[in-house]
Amino acid sequence: MFKNSLLLGAVSGILAGIASIIYQKVYAMSLGADFAGIAKPVTIILAAVLSSLVAASGYWLANKWLRNKGEIVFNLIFVIFSFASIFTAFGAKLPIDIEAPELFPGLVVPMHFFPALAWFTLKPLFIKADMPYKKALV
Amino acid sequence: MKKVFYLILTIAVLSTVFAFTLPTTWKIADKFNINFATTGVSGIFKTFTGNVVFDEQNPATSKFDISIDILSINTGNGMQNKHAKSAEWFDASRYPVIKFTSKKIVKTGVGYTAIGDLQLHGISREVSLPFTFKRGGNGGTFEGAFNINRNDFKIGEPGGEVGEVIKVNVSVPVVK
Repeated sequence: MFKNSLLLGAVSGILAGIASIIYQKVYAMSLGADFAGIAKPVTIILAAVLSSLVAASGYWLANKWLRNKGEIVFNLIFVIFSFASIFTAFGAKLPIDIEAPELFPGLVVPMHFFPALAWFTLKPLFIKADMPYKKALV
Repeated sequence: MKKVFYLILTIAVLSTVFAFTLPTTWKIADKFNINFATTGVSGIFKTFTGNVVFDEQNPATSKFDISIDILSINTGNGMQNKHAKSAEWFDASRYPVIKFTSKKIVKTGVGYTAIGDLQLHGISREVSLPFTFKRGGNGGTFEGAFNINRNDFKIGEPGGEVGEVIKVNVSVPVVK
């Protein structure tokens, strides 16, 4: 299960990173607010993959410790952490030569939800209910 | 004929004298920097206009009349920017500019001091702003650093998370 969780974490992290970069491009084109110098594509992908790998470890631990309640507890914690993390975007202090810092949270707040979104979307492909360890949990 | 000669001579002499005594009017160049810092907040003002008349040799004839646009404040954080412009702090809708009008400029040991009225948040107070002037080519740069106590201008509540004494650094390149 740990291997599948990590694989799901890595793939959903990469997907979330790609989605974030596409969103960044669309945001810059539509609003003219380019924060590419602060939120660099490499940093975005690394952050998305890292957070998804942490989530994967959390998923494994939650299922190991809480057995049949692990799934719902993990989902709740993942969403709560994603939501709580948006406050870092609102509190971020950008270099003072950056124009319109007011538009920065609008760029990064949706990105904070992309790893969870990718995880929930891809999970059925990596972790199936009929897997031996899931059967044991039911 | 003699009268005309003396008249021309007088005008010539006066013109020469005035040419040497009239202070230079300087134009503010683009790359100026007005930044401020205190506990909990720091930032810059991006819009700065005014008349700068200054003669290094004769500072008594010099005069500064400058305005800073409050709406151009940038602290690097959108929420802080909005908060700074609100009625609780600068109240930018009622008091959109910071104005300084010098009354006297005097030479000091290390540079100069501009004594004048600082108008901020609807309150005008006499302040002394020390500064230096470095010439370079066709222009020069004014630089100054001074502290302003925000309580003197009733900006924000006394105490709190934001420091009361605000350190201001000014660097203004000028050209003739």
